[in-house]
Amino acid sequence: MPAIRIVLAALFLMLAVTVQTSVLPHFAVAGVGCDLVMIVVVALALSRGAEWGAIAGFLGGLMLDVVPPADHTAGRWALALALSGYVAGLVRRETSAAPVGPLVVALTVVLGAALSLTVYSATGSLLHDPAVDWSEFGVRLGIAAGYDVVAAIVVIPLVMWVMGRVVPARERRRVLP
Amino acid sequence: MLKDLGTPAKGLVRSAGLPREIRRRRTILVLVILASFTLIVLDARRSAGSPVEPLRHAAAAVFGPLESGASSARQPVDNLRDRFAEVDRLKAENEKLTADNEKLISDLRTTDYARNRAAELDRLLKVAPKYTVTPARVIGMGSAQSFNHTVTIDAGTADGVRADMTVLNGDGLVGRVVRTTEATATVLLIGDRNSTVGGRLNSTMALGFVSGRGEVGSSATLDYKLVDLKARPKVGDRIVTWGSSGNAPYVPGVPIGEVTTVTAVQGALGSTAQVKPFVDPSRIDLVGVVTGPPARAPRTTVPPGTGR
Repeated sequence: MPAIRIVLAALFLMLAVTVQTSVLPHFAVAGVGCDLVMIVVVALALSRGAEWGAIAGFLGGLMLDVVPPADHTAGRWALALALSGYVAGLVRRETSAAPVGPLVVALTVVLGAALSLTVYSATGSLLHDPAVDWSEFGVRLGIAAGYDVVAAIVVIPLVMWVMGRVVPARERRRVLP
Repeated sequence: MLKDLGTPAKGLVRSAGLPREIRRRRTILVLVILASFTLIVLDARRSAGSPVEPLRHAAAAVFGPLESGASSARQPVDNLRDRFAEVDRLKAENEKLTADNEKLISDLRTTDYARNRAAELDRLLKVAPKYTVTPARVIGMGSAQSFNHTVTIDAGTADGVRADMTVLNGDGLVGRVVRTTEATATVLLIGDRNSTVGGRLNSTMALGFVSGRGEVGSSATLDYKLVDLKARPKVGDRIVTWGSSGNAPYVPGVPIGEVTTVTAVQGALGSTAQVKPFVDPSRIDLVGVVTGPPARAPRTTVPPGTGR
């Protein structure tokens, strides 16, 4: 069972990376695209917890760091998304075994977007990457967060449903009494 | 949570979070953060050849075809949208007119420069260089929130594309190749804040530098600074590349953009201008990579009409 979950999570992440780099830029709002990988990481964290969130975030971010057209220092998205995934996983713990409500999911996505973009930009500043422009940061974060919430309405229930299907019977009894 | 604690089932007690589980969670977080920092440190010193480079190659090998496929899958959607927007006849007519228009505009943009240059070249070698251009399609784009103005194209080393090659399209200069793999290449657009291009004013042949401002959208502009402090760019002046030595990374004579505003630098000589690029970075699709040298070396005295 865990093997199937890991394969599914990896598939989700790869699909998200592909779509985010090739298709979503064509639907960008003012140049800002949707952070599909971040949304999938949040969904995995919400369905499996903080450990999964951190690891999925690291791997998803690593792919974003090395898949073309990325041209920044590798590890920046990995760090940003790992932290977002971990925090999203903590949100799931706070709400305990009860199903996570839509408002909490939306807030988690906004939190994830804010955290990941801040960490990504901050590491860029620390590395003296001239591309990072803090004067534009707020606007782009606002648009990105709004866009992410819209996309999350579709993506998160889908990912959580699929991940929920492969939960072993022992664990299903535990989560859904 | 309280309800959980009230029930004696073994699984529930585990889900309430024993210190062991919290410890494990935190260990994983620390490990992942350390791994990220290790990557950043390893990749940050680019000069020494990053150990992440093989990883990038592997990723491009896997995701290049995927991105290419996803871009193709987008086509039917685009077609459907077109069908709603306009009748086929209008589309064909429009295409023809756009092509004509593009040709006329590019003629217009380069005419001053071409005349000046032609006069010079006529004296030197009586011929203008012609380059071999490899066409490629844009299959991936960076997003604005990552502050990267880069795109992936579906041509790589197998097509003769190497780093530091000029990328252009029918409108003008797009950028330069920064990294290649077997089947893909990463292009740094001229709008990126890491990008600087040598630009020559069409009308006066004055030299300067065009640098990106990191702006997005169709209203994005570039900065232009002249080398000669006394020269003044005028609004409406057009800028073309003046070319680098060995034609890498930029070949000469590619239109870059048009001067929209000129501002005097406070407390110093000279002035900076804002340039509107001819290429809208958010709408590039088919681009050409200058892969070949001119038909003949520009400074040898060969008679015109021969070669290639």
